[in-house]
Amino acid sequence: MQTYGHSVVFTTTLVVFLFVLWLVRRHSIGERFAGLWLLISVSLLIASSVGYRYLFLIAGLVGVPYAPSALFFLAIAGLTLLIIELFAWVSKLNDRTRVLTQQLALLRERFDREQTAGRVR
Amino acid sequence: MNTVSKSEKRDREPRVLIIIPAFNEAASLPQLVPRIRELCPRYDTAIINDASTDDTLRVAHALPARVISLPCNLGIGGAMQTGFCIARDESYDIAVQVDGDGQHPADQLHLLIQGLQQSGCDIVIGSRFLNGGEFQSTVARRLGIRIFSLWLSAICHTRITDATSGFRALNRRAIELFSRSYAEDYPEVEAIVVAHRAGLRICEVPVAMSARVQGVSSIGGLRSVGYMVKVSLAILMCSIRRRQIAS
Repeated sequence: MQTYGHSVVFTTTLVVFLFVLWLVRRHSIGERFAGLWLLISVSLLIASSVGYRYLFLIAGLVGVPYAPSALFFLAIAGLTLLIIELFAWVSKLNDRTRVLTQQLALLRERFDREQTAGRVR
Repeated sequence: MNTVSKSEKRDREPRVLIIIPAFNEAASLPQLVPRIRELCPRYDTAIINDASTDDTLRVAHALPARVISLPCNLGIGGAMQTGFCIARDESYDIAVQVDGDGQHPADQLHLLIQGLQQSGCDIVIGSRFLNGGEFQSTVARRLGIRIFSLWLSAICHTRITDATSGFRALNRRAIELFSRSYAEDYPEVEAIVVAHRAGLRICEVPVAMSARVQGVSSIGGLRSVGYMVKVSLAILMCSIRRRQIAS
């Protein structure tokens, strides 16, 4: 049963890893996030293949009596960090979009004025 | 020889840009802009159409003003900042913010500009409450304005009675600062904190404002609670952010 469960986890993380690779190959995921997701998927792969043996050991070392709780804590902490990173990135993109929108409007107004004055055809 | 030629006098006059952000203000602009033109013929006017969904763009093009049309809606802050960018790029001496809804009377514009020139401040706010002025509004709204005004007075160590007034005149230092950094939503209160932290001097002059000519305020009911929370958070965040340097 343990071997079967292990195989399921390993296969799932392998699928995640291959999916990330496929996204990177297709340029569907930008360079900024490609490296991050490759790192995450490789870490998951390693953790699901050999790392699970050390889960109880690590949980014991940090004083968590129930090992799966430590795993959930790590997963939630990792995802929270990822969400914060995405929020920061969205804020930056929002700033860039605002500047581009303003510049586009200003350039268009200048172009219209020049066109009216007959300097641009 | 006190005689000064007209051209010399004109040379010394500050170049003023009146910035009117407009989102769905097709009904109020035809009254506001000609009135400004009539009272202040030497000032340039720029209408920033914030991707309005009504007839604002067509109406604005028929008025005696420059029209800058944003391709997507940026909110009052983004629209106003577009005006500051024009003022900075074209070396205007003074920029005046005027709401497109007609609340800010054109006949009070000169008070702001005079205030800016005489006080030596970088930003002059047109206050509805200075010198015992009154403004017809809901109790909740007046209470909110009072709270923010007291809070900002404490932060800026200067008396501010109308923190949410968007009727303001700015000199070059303030124009340069706000063209780089200006809040997107409900920017009036936050802008005062940013300006104070950048070392700009802020003062107020009394003005009389009218009720909106057309349309309804974006702040009302539950939104006013959201407004209070958002602006309060913005003030707190401003206080911990790295300060902007004014040129």
